Formats: sequence, structure tokens, C-alpha cells
Amino acid sequence: MAAYEVNGTTVEHDEEGYITNLSEWSKELAEIIAKAEEVDMNEEHWEVVNFLRDYYEEYQIAPAVRVLIKAVKKTMGPEKGSNKYMYELFPYGPAKQACKIAGLPKPTGCI
Amino acid sequence: MAPLDDAKPTTVTDVRGPDGHPLDIPRLACGAMADLQSFPAHVKHNERLGYPGELIDDWKEVAIAKIGELADKNRAFQVYLDACVKCGACTDKCHYFLGTGDPKNMPVARQDLLRSVYRRYYTFAGKHFPWLVGARDLTREVLDDWYNYYHQCSQCRRCSVFCPYGIDTAEISMAAREILDTVGKGQKYCNEIIGKVLDTGNNLGLQEKALRATLESLEEDIEEDTGVSVRIPLDEKGADILLIAPSADFFAEPHIEGLIGYAKVFHQAGVSWTVSSYASEAANFGLFIGSYENMREVSLRIRKAAQDLGVKRIVFGECGHAWRVGYSFLNTLAGPFDFLDQNFPIPQHILEFTHGMLERGELNIDKSRNDHIRLTFHDSCNVARGSRMGDMPGGQFEIPRAVLRAVCNNYFDMDRDTIMESTVCCGGGGGLLTDELLDLRTKGASPRMKAMQQVTEDHGVTHLAAICAICKTQFAKVMPKFGYDMDSILSVHQLVSNAIILDGQETNNTSAAED
Amino acid sequence: MLSTLYAVLFYFATILLVVGTGLKIRKYARTPAPLKIPTTPAPTTRSGVWLRMFREVVFFESLFKANKWIWLFGYLFHFGLLLVLLRHFRYFTQPVWFWVEIIQPFGVYASFAMVIGLAGLWARRFLVERIRYISAPSDHLMLVLLLAIGLSGMGMKFVAKTDIVAVKIFFQGLMRFQINDLPTDPLLLIHLGLVASLMIIFPISKLLHAPGLFFSPSRNQVDNPREQRHLAPWAAKLEKGGR
Repeated sequence: MAAYEVNGTTVEHDEEGYITNLSEWSKELAEIIAKAEEVDMNEEHWEVVNFLRDYYEEYQIAPAVRVLIKAVKKTMGPEKGSNKYMYELFPYGPAKQACKIAGLPKPTGCI
Repeated sequence: MAPLDDAKPTTVTDVRGPDGHPLDIPRLACGAMADLQSFPAHVKHNERLGYPGELIDDWKEVAIAKIGELADKNRAFQVYLDACVKCGACTDKCHYFLGTGDPKNMPVARQDLLRSVYRRYYTFAGKHFPWLVGARDLTREVLDDWYNYYHQCSQCRRCSVFCPYGIDTAEISMAAREILDTVGKGQKYCNEIIGKVLDTGNNLGLQEKALRATLESLEEDIEEDTGVSVRIPLDEKGADILLIAPSADFFAEPHIEGLIGYAKVFHQAGVSWTVSSYASEAANFGLFIGSYENMREVSLRIRKAAQDLGVKRIVFGECGHAWRVGYSFLNTLAGPFDFLDQNFPIPQHILEFTHGMLERGELNIDKSRNDHIRLTFHDSCNVARGSRMGDMPGGQFEIPRAVLRAVCNNYFDMDRDTIMESTVCCGGGGGLLTDELLDLRTKGASPRMKAMQQVTEDHGVTHLAAICAICKTQFAKVMPKFGYDMDSILSVHQLVSNAIILDGQETNNTSAAED
Repeated sequence: MLSTLYAVLFYFATILLVVGTGLKIRKYARTPAPLKIPTTPAPTTRSGVWLRMFREVVFFESLFKANKWIWLFGYLFHFGLLLVLLRHFRYFTQPVWFWVEIIQPFGVYASFAMVIGLAGLWARRFLVERIRYISAPSDHLMLVLLLAIGLSGMGMKFVAKTDIVAVKIFFQGLMRFQINDLPTDPLLLIHLGLVASLMIIFPISKLLHAPGLFFSPSRNQVDNPREQRHLAPWAAKLEKGGR
């Protein structure tokens, strides 16, 4: 199985780039995954990633896109609380790409 | 995964073909999609469903025996293997063939991948004159071909409409996947998801606490939007109606807008209803892998939820294959439903419910709230060719259109050869809605997208409505590749939700008219 | 000697055709359909299904929707063949049934339709790339066999007439288990030899599409799953195993 290299240690990921052991996540790793995804992490990306991680900690799953957007609206302002803006941040989709960077498992299903 | 069109001579990635007809037939591009392999299931995914974790040593013998077993258990499989005369009527009917040109994506050729092996081991001609009748030994290459090409079939049944004997490639493809599972060669997307349903009740792995939080958040949104308190109840014992929605309706866009629509309709109907956290999934991927047993396991959750909650009726949300399983198979798999109210269809589709209310004039509709939308409708294949709505054959075409016309002023159908029973698949059905197959999904969507581009040119159509969670996700993903915004795809009940005026709703509220 | 050979051949071919096809039909009939899978929109009543099946058998409805060329050639061939076959009853009935007499003149022209249809279908196997791809040698040979049967039959009608009275006496004899003399014209022997081979391969070839159609669940099932519970015997056993 393939792995990311973080400060000399390896963090295993699955065939799609999602890390397999969620406890191995770190901010450095997030930057590395983001780079592989061609996402340049700025403050707003971090805002989303942090929210995802907090939500996951409480609910054991990523939030619905709508719930995420609502949260973003509250913290970043209404003009940024849109699906479109989320896709600007994470072109491959807030649910999947942002989850990958946040070290969460890939959401599965018809989504 | 390397992009396939660089290496292989496909000719049809450009959607606007020579004369741009949605059903233009490509030249053959042999082997164009041969290397496209969706991710194999991990050991734990296969074992969770009772299959061997990885390819077993005696896979060949087991696979051959399984063919015989299925031919004894399933008349369709037996008859369809025997009856094909290679007339070629189906050869230009598969959207994946139209999109890729790969001849193994022609329905008859896809069937022949398995039929050739069946003939070799189970027919006189194939045993003694294999070269004559195109019979082949089962080899590792053949097995890999099965895996790759039976995961390039969305089981949409379009070919079965046109076959003079009604041969349904979906049946062959489901059987093939069951054989593959039996020898330990399952597909990750489907098998991981079925495992999640067995463990948590839905494809997403959404636990009760998260589901409750999501639904409460939606209730807030509706109230903020309309000023009316509309409930989305969870696990409420004694409710009249159990709503079985695809879990995507709790998670993704535009699905969740559809859920809001159901809630508003139920609210106006004044019925008591509930979602179940135990059976929080309409989808049943057991269908995709051709597994009666797995499909039954998943279906029995719905029965148990209905009994535990003491409901009188079951209503399904917008989900294509789920409605096929619900309408056509639920009674078989998890019936009899003698404990439910027999005065209503068991199960009922949310569109049958809404349509009934509209017909009786029980919904207050302001169609102009959808005036910013010029709409067409995508018939989802499993609904179109594997189920029905209402009392009359073809109700599955009429009822969604009747509802859309009732809530939207600007409705236009696409080319007749691409809708209703001839509808072309969205390109993501049948267990193919996974990222590593995106190239195939895009190519497979091209007939539908061409048909949409036609109505865009002719009538200025801007939006596409669908009643299937897979279709909605697939279109949100691929429409941008065809010149549309990702939010050009809408839930049917999203349009209902836009147009409905709830009792007590502040009507100067314009948020519903936002694009 | 030759007469005996052909007599044996036809007894053998008839037995294989009847028993082989009978066994296949039994297999189809006994194999359960576990789920309701009619291709919808589908009839909601049994009589509706009869009507649907009638349209498939008589008009090739689905094929018409699919491809007009295949429909045209297929239709010419099948209904040409049907009339020709019915016309052949005159060699097995004495006195000849009256409706066979009526069909008789049409049957002759039907042979042209049959041959044109077959030629068209065969041409498509070469000319249409997609159909060339899916054709196995047997698919070509089957058409060649049918074409040769048609042409040899027409040859006897229009070119080198055979002693048709003697042929009739031969077959009427076979029906009473007597072996009479068969004329030895090459065309006749070729024609009969090919017909016997067709009978023999019927139950082991794609000619099974004929009975198969009637057992195709996507066409012969009633669309009433919500009203009536459908359960295969093996699935019922599965249920008893524990819910």
C-alpha cells in the first residue's frame, strides 16, 4: 500500500489517497495531501478542514455539504457560504477532496 | 490511472459529434476501455458480505460451477444465454458503447464475454466445436475481462427494450458480478457500501446522532426560509408513514433539496411520518452485484423498521434503482406486508403521493417561483424500465412530468428516442458512480448530454430534473464537462419545494426563487 | 440403400429435434424466475402479456423499434420460411388440407422473400462493422445452411424439377414406418440432407431463440409485483431458513 512521507515517517493511504489510520493525521500531512491534490492551502481551506475534523470528532462522519456551507457562512460570511465557493476551494468537491485533506475517510454512497 | 484516450484510438470524446445527434454511432475502437479497472474490494469488504476475501486458488472450477448454479436458479440467465442469435439489434443501444466505441461495450458483446464460457462448459457445440460457436476456456484473461467490462455496464436495461427476445444484459452483468464475488473478486465501491448498510443502515455510514443533527439543521433552514415550522421526524413510533429515502438525500446537493420538498409535501398533507435510523437507506446495492441474499438482507431492514415503528405505510424517496427494488422486488424479498394499510400501494413512491395531492388540489402552488428555470426531465433507467408508478403502464413517465408541469411553467422534453422507455442512462448507474471510473462515466453521459444540448439550443433549457440519487450526483459531476453548471441538475421535489406555498408561509419571501 | 439412409437420417433428426427441444423447453419451464423483471412499461394483466407476446412473435415489435433493416430482412426471412413450411404440408397430408392448398401459390413466392431476407442478413454480417465483430463462424454457417436449403428447394421448383410424387410417397411411407424409394436427384438429396442437419442442430444452437422467447421473463411477466407476491421455490426455502 502506498504512503505519504511526513518528516521522515510514512503514513499509509488507500488507492485513492485517503489515509487508512485516522490518528496519523497532522497539519504537516494535510499540507502534503493538499499538494498532491494541487490545492494551495490558505486560511479558508484550513477553516473548512478544521470544521470537518471537529464535526467528524463529534459525529463520526463528514457533514452534509449543506451543513458545512451553513457553518462556513457563519464564520466566513454569507458571500462565501455557497456550494460554488466550496468548489472553488476544493475543485474536486468539498465532501471528498476536503475530507481527504482533513484525514477523514472517504464518504461513500450515491454522492 | 492513465487517461485512456491518450493511449487508445477512441474517437468520441468530443460530445458535439459530426451531426451531433445524441445517438450517433461511433466507429469501433477495439480495446479502448480494456484497461479501465474499478478498484477491487479489500479483503474486509468481501468477507463482510460472506465472500472470499481475495481470489481463491480454485477460482476457475468455482466460477464454472457457479454459472451452472445460476442457470438452474434463474430462468432469465438460462434463457438469455441460449437465445441470442447475434442479430445485432442491440449493438448501438448502450450509452457506453456510443460514448467509447469499444465493441465490448456493445450489449451482445458484453454478454458474450460470459456466454462464450457458458458455451464451452455447458453446451454440446461449445464442448466439441468451440472454434465454431465462439466458445472460450475460462482463463485469467477472461476473468479480468469480466471484471473490467461487467463494471462498465450500468444495468440500465436499455438493450432489453430493443432485443427481439427481451435479453437483458443487466441480468447477465449481475450474474457475472455474483460469480466474481463468489471467487473473491468483488468491486470495492459496491461491496464496501453494502457492508456499511449492514453495519449502520445506510451507504454513507451515517449514525443516528449525525442523522438527527442533519435533519434538525434542515428543519431550521426550512423555518428560516418560509417562516413555517416543518418537521423531519426521526424514529418516531406510531407515525403513519415511513419514508425510505436514499442516504444521499441527507448529505449531498441537490438531493437534500428534494428531501426538503418531501417534508413540505408531507407537512401540507398533514400526515404523520418519520425517517428511520435503522433503515436510513433506499439504495440497495445488492441489486448491482446480483446477490439475492444481500439484496434481501438490506430489504429486510425496511420491513423491520416498519414493524418496529408501527407505521401503516411505506413511501420511497427519489432513488432510481431503489424504486426498482422497492416496487418490483420488496414484496418478494421482504413481504408479505400484511401488517401495513392495504388501501395504499406498498410501497408508494413519493411522486405518487405528491401527484395525488396535486390532482386533488391539496397543494398551494406558485409556478412562477420556478420561472427562472427552463426545465427538462431525465427518466432514470431503473424507474423507466424496471418499475411503474400509478395504475397504468407508463405511469412512471407521466407522473413525474405531470408533477413538473404542475410546478414549473417552462417544461420541454428531450429527443423521444432518448427518453421514457428509451431513456439513455446518466452514465453513473449500476455501481459505477466511483471516481476511478470518471472517464467512462463522462463518455457514457455523452448521449444524454447531447440530447440536453439539443433542447438547450431549441428551447433554451437551463436545468435538468431527475429522480435518482445516482443520476443527480453523476450529473453534478459531469455536466460541467458539457458546458453546464454543476447546479443545473435538480431534484424533482426541489422544484416542488420551490413552488409550494405552505400554510402560513410569508409569501414575500423570495429566497426560493434564487437560482 | 440411399432411401434407407435418408429414412434413418430423418427418423434420427426428428427424434433429436423433438426430444432435444422438449428437454430444453422443460429446463426453461422448470427453472424459476426469482424476481419480477418485466421490461417496463409492461402489461398489468395476463391477457396483456399474451398480447405483448403476440406482437413480438407476429410483428417482431422490439426488433422494429431497434433497427429497421434487421427487422425488414428478418421479417422477410421468417415469414417467408413460415409460408414455405406450411406449403410443405402438402407432402405429408393426403388428401392435402384445404388451407394448405390456399397457401400453396403464396408459398412459392415466399421462398424468394425467404432467400432475400437471408441474403440481407448475411450481407450485414460482412458489411456492418458492429455485426461483423459479433459474428462467430456458426453465425455465418447457420445463414449459409438456411440459404442453401432455400436455394436447393427453389432449384427443384424452378430449375430441375424432381419427381415430387415419389418424394411424397417416401415421406408418407416414413410416417407409417415404411421405406419407399426416394428419387436420387442431387438437388433433392442436398435439400433433404441440409434440412435434416438443421433439425439436428436446432436444440443445440441459437435456434433455441424460438422457444426461448416464450420463456423470457422480461417479456412474459405481468407487471403486478405490488399486488401479488412473487416467490421462487428456492427463495421460499431460504426464508424458512430463518428471517
